[in-house]
Amino acid sequence: MPRFKGKPSAKYSAAALISKGIRRTSWPRAWGEHELENRYDVVIIGAGVHGLATAYYLAANHGITKVAVLDKSYLGGGGSGRNTAIVRSNYLTPEGVAFYDRSLALYNSMAQDLNINVMFSERGHLTLAHTDSALRTMRWRAEVNKLQKIDSEVIGPDKVGELVPSLDVRPTTRYPILGALYHPPGGTIRHDTVNWGYARGADAFGVQIHQRTTVVDILVEGGDGPDGKGPGGRVTGVKTTGGDIAADVVVNCTAGWASIISAMAGVRLPITTHPLQAAVTEPVKTFLPAVVVSGSLHVYVSQTDRGELVFGASVDPFATYSMRGSLDFTEELASHVLELMPGVSRMRLLRQWAGLCDMTPDYSPVMGFTPVEGFLCDVGWGTYGFKAGPVSGEQMAELIATGTTPTLLEPFSYRRFADGNLVGEKGAAAVGH
Amino acid sequence: MNDAPHRLPHQPGEVIDRDTPVRFSWNGRRMTGFAGDTIASAISSNGKRIFSRSMKYHRPRGLLTADYWDPNLFVQIGPEPNVRAGHRLIADGMQVKPQNVWPSLGFDVKAANGLVGRFLTAGFYYKTFMNPASLWPLYEKVLATFAPGGEIDLDAPHELYDQRYAHVDVLIAGGGPAGLSAAVAAAERGASVMLVEHNHHLGGHLRWGDPDDLALSNELVQAVRSNERIEVLTDSTVTGRYEDNWCAINQRTLPHAVERLVKVRAKSLIVAAGLIERPLVFEGNDHPGVMLGGAARRLINLYAVKPGERAVVLTANDEGDKTVAALERAGVEIAQVVDARRGEAVHSASGSKGVSSVTLGDRSKVSADLLITSIGWTAPTSLLNMAGDRPVYNPSAARFFPDAPPETVLVTGGLAGDGSVEQLVAHGVATGRLAADRAAVIRYRLQTLTPRAIPPEGSDPDWPADARTPLGVDDHPSMFRALTHGIVDYSEDVSSKDLEAAADEAYDSVELVKRYTTATMGPQQGKLETVNTVAVLAEHRGQAIAEVGTTVWRPPYAPISLGALAGRAFDPVRYSALHRWHMAHGGVPMVAGQWIRIEQYGNPAEEVRNTRANVGLIDVSPLGKMFITGPDAPKLLEQLYVNKWSRLPLGGVRYGVMVNEDGVVMDDGVTGRLTDDTYLMTTTTGGAGRVYEWAEMWLQTEKPEFEVFIDPVTAGFTSINVAGPNSRQLMSRVTDGLDLSNEAFPYMNVRTARVAGVSDCIVWRIGFTGELSYEVHVPAGFGLHVWEELLAHGADLGVAPFGVEAQRIMRLEKGHFIVGQDTDGLTQLPTTGLASLAKLDKPDSAGKPELQWAIHGPGPRAHPVLVLLEPSDPAIVPAEACQIVNAGTTDIVGRVTSSRFSPTLERSICLAQVEPSLATPGTEVTVVLTDGERITASVKEGHAFYDQEGVRTRG
Repeated sequence: MPRFKGKPSAKYSAAALISKGIRRTSWPRAWGEHELENRYDVVIIGAGVHGLATAYYLAANHGITKVAVLDKSYLGGGGSGRNTAIVRSNYLTPEGVAFYDRSLALYNSMAQDLNINVMFSERGHLTLAHTDSALRTMRWRAEVNKLQKIDSEVIGPDKVGELVPSLDVRPTTRYPILGALYHPPGGTIRHDTVNWGYARGADAFGVQIHQRTTVVDILVEGGDGPDGKGPGGRVTGVKTTGGDIAADVVVNCTAGWASIISAMAGVRLPITTHPLQAAVTEPVKTFLPAVVVSGSLHVYVSQTDRGELVFGASVDPFATYSMRGSLDFTEELASHVLELMPGVSRMRLLRQWAGLCDMTPDYSPVMGFTPVEGFLCDVGWGTYGFKAGPVSGEQMAELIATGTTPTLLEPFSYRRFADGNLVGEKGAAAVGH
Repeated sequence: MNDAPHRLPHQPGEVIDRDTPVRFSWNGRRMTGFAGDTIASAISSNGKRIFSRSMKYHRPRGLLTADYWDPNLFVQIGPEPNVRAGHRLIADGMQVKPQNVWPSLGFDVKAANGLVGRFLTAGFYYKTFMNPASLWPLYEKVLATFAPGGEIDLDAPHELYDQRYAHVDVLIAGGGPAGLSAAVAAAERGASVMLVEHNHHLGGHLRWGDPDDLALSNELVQAVRSNERIEVLTDSTVTGRYEDNWCAINQRTLPHAVERLVKVRAKSLIVAAGLIERPLVFEGNDHPGVMLGGAARRLINLYAVKPGERAVVLTANDEGDKTVAALERAGVEIAQVVDARRGEAVHSASGSKGVSSVTLGDRSKVSADLLITSIGWTAPTSLLNMAGDRPVYNPSAARFFPDAPPETVLVTGGLAGDGSVEQLVAHGVATGRLAADRAAVIRYRLQTLTPRAIPPEGSDPDWPADARTPLGVDDHPSMFRALTHGIVDYSEDVSSKDLEAAADEAYDSVELVKRYTTATMGPQQGKLETVNTVAVLAEHRGQAIAEVGTTVWRPPYAPISLGALAGRAFDPVRYSALHRWHMAHGGVPMVAGQWIRIEQYGNPAEEVRNTRANVGLIDVSPLGKMFITGPDAPKLLEQLYVNKWSRLPLGGVRYGVMVNEDGVVMDDGVTGRLTDDTYLMTTTTGGAGRVYEWAEMWLQTEKPEFEVFIDPVTAGFTSINVAGPNSRQLMSRVTDGLDLSNEAFPYMNVRTARVAGVSDCIVWRIGFTGELSYEVHVPAGFGLHVWEELLAHGADLGVAPFGVEAQRIMRLEKGHFIVGQDTDGLTQLPTTGLASLAKLDKPDSAGKPELQWAIHGPGPRAHPVLVLLEPSDPAIVPAEACQIVNAGTTDIVGRVTSSRFSPTLERSICLAQVEPSLATPGTEVTVVLTDGERITASVKEGHAFYDQEGVRTRG
């Protein structure tokens, strides 16, 4: 496992906190500020968890450090900072399970690997079933998971009530809880810290992070399309608001705008972009010990260590780039939450927001090579991108460094839409947090 | 009488009722207040000044703003956490408890954190508790005890919340002088007005003003109250403004419900939210006794409470000067007035459980128990942000102003600018008129948007231009942080030092510093903290405030209870017209989406045997039903189904499959032709709504030229399936005017007939159970009658009801698949063995290109195959969803999709999706049971376990 490579004085620990507190010295910057250079070996578009992790593993695992990570806004300001910070690996397909399980493993050791406390809370993850068919899908997932040695099982309402006393498990409710898929290794994490940890880790190896640097075009030569872009072409760099950059490898690690960025290289993606809304309540003393998901009621909820309830739902049913929250989302959310936990009616909703999700036809990502040489994608992450950040970065870095697609990435290739080998994660991902 | 030590004699604007004492307890001690007191003013009148402990350092905290936004006044009342004591009115018998203290408010153990504060810098928890990793869960538990906030009572009884819709011309957020004037002016222009005030009383800042202010307030309030076009909601907040002025109001004072959400479509929205006084950042600024000028004036003028004995007042504006006057009138000794306009400053405040001395800019010390600051404002522009506006910072006025909100969102009052009360009123009047005039134009346009029987009179009016005289903008000293460091975010316990340290560590944009330190993320949503956060960051980075920018204000404007958002639970539960009969006859109900269905009547196996041997009845009312009417009905059917429909004869019935645009099976059912251009389509129970929306989508967006209507009539009919060898005989006893012989009414046909005396029944000869069967759709009102007649006439034929479970068993015996159970989100048509059904020579149909590719290539995809499976041990019934693997491995090659014990065959039977290489009849596969045990099963030939040839169905 790679370990944090920063200067000893930058290393986080209780002892350093005390020593700096006594000597009243300050901490160094977590990542540096740089002038934009005119050439990098690898340019990564998007300073979210995917882009930063890719940069980190390129440097840490493969020694590729002449890397720039560009973001039009601030670091971690897109989906990486807007998600509900749930991690798990109990997916529906063997391909999905193997992939997310590796991600979970990286999350498990992240605090030590990156020397930053990402507050991974392995509190258990429950996906409730209110109908026969939902219960059948839960069992399907459990059976696939067990064959992959993932800790995942279907439990009955009594066990659900024991694990989460605040849930109404009586059979008399409008949508009785018939059972649940229980996944003890699932949990929550402090999402921002993951972004910062990768940024700080990558910076220590010499990777440059450029915030407020918008990519306005991708430079491609020799392609079949207009301006030499598109299939058959070769990437030569990017045009940004901070100047032009030459690079042989450009990686699209954006979410929300993935299809727009790819179109700059002449690569079409089968993606539609939908908003996903979330909300948080005022804090109260902790009472909800696990992550609770209900597909039938379109809601998932967890309680942070700060005491807030964090809610999310499924993506809005229409495609848009707007990130404004809607009233009906909060109404539906509240009624469904109260269906599950009538006792929280006096809690107050503090804030609602939305993020953008790039949805593919099979609810699985598009990763790796594209028809434009040197232009790579790590996109199409729908509502599950955060969970997959670490493994995506690790595997994309390997792909860039070796020039070959790692086994874990093979199912998610751009080619699969032409070949018809879709990866059916819809059942686990639709409200699968 | 009240002998509270800090209660002042009568004040001109007081809102307390001295004749109505209210007894309550605070922190276990009995106290008395008056009706009209807030919890905080009542406690304060009793001489208490500590109300809470801060989140991280557990420092004692007192009154700061003495209103809804006070971060230090969160208390617990019974099962309700986080009650705003500066806003909620005291009530008799109320037991008010402090939150987040241990063991007590006066002595809190965690206050020891304050001693080690220098080690607990912002984000310290990200830098420690990492090793050993095994101890993290323990660390986490300790950190969680620092969660702020009160406690919820999960067993609290259910309470009623309410919702309401309103459609008004003009909605006004804010009942101060500008909002009140706007309301009257708009109403006088003929507009319907809803005026929403966050506080319990109208009047805004006039209420705690001088006698002239009070007189004007009374006058304006009187004008509003006496105008019948104006509806006033007090103790209510416009919490959100969404697309097209769709607004949410949280109404908190109601006789019949805890809270209510009012949803308003406003033609014009006037934002008159006023200004929120902003605290100053300096050392000791969170000691009890440090409060804002507005807080002191509210305490004195509204509640007749003396805020302290000896005060230092830091003033930078008129409000501060008025505060000095109010304090003097209340008998508070003025130790020192520090006038920032003259360059004077406050350095810090100190004391142990409250302020005892104040250090001034020249380092001189003044002893005082009050330090009152009036140093500027935050413009609460949330509603404007929600409307897409990006407010602009004005450095000379030291606050943000609106930029360019949409023309249906108008701003007045302090948010819009400065001026005398008269000027504010005049601006409010002009704003009210403009809002009303614009609303009138919108109303006209709405009326002409769609054809009306009586078109509105007149021609399209011009859009009224904004000819208001703008309010001025007064200069104001820029005061954010004084000479020392102090608290910026009270509820999160974040200091200006924390912000600077975060910026030094690269968290140097407002969004990053917010996320790193959690400043502005507490329950005040930044109303007191955001501008100071931005200013501290700007100062530290040597930038202008406008360069640093601000965070996005998101809904809601004020936190809103989940109960109010949810309203009364309104999720319809649908019952068949026969439901009561079922329940009276041993039916066991089950939830099937919105519907409640009958799973069984006690013994599903016996229900199967009786139906196969005699005749059974099942209530299939939830089955989706739609009339498709019009000359182009066949075209629509061809668009929706994979198969052809143009040559369906009158009375004919055809089975159809629908796929979505990925070629994935989405629904199936039968459709029959009732007249020349009337068809009745049936869908799966779960698919009824989805298919209707799908059909309408095609009709409205892709094929608007089709002359066809769709009428969903699912609940309009009671649907009864009569199945079994005796079904024809039973039907013949109750049916008039219909020849039931096989020749006249063969399988896959539909007729209308009189059944049990009920005319216009639709009778289908179809069957899911594999028996001779008739499905009767009875106008729902006669459903029970027909059901009972069928039972009465079939006693000698062995008639008995059967439930969903028996039906599931019989359909599995017959090998019929269920969409969504035996298929999944990737199952394209070929998997079901029905590829030959697809007729792709049609001009168009949903999913045609994908099907073309899936069936006829070049798609190389190996479609899984749906097969019949028999476990080798006939007694073992694998659970549905059990996986099929290659023997000796964990490689998944299929799964059991349906599985039951067949009472007819006396063995277990399954449907399974398997890889094509395993689909050959006789192939032995390995099934992993849920307990991990592996069994073998073999693929069976054909498409049914029972009556392969369909003799019984067609007989």
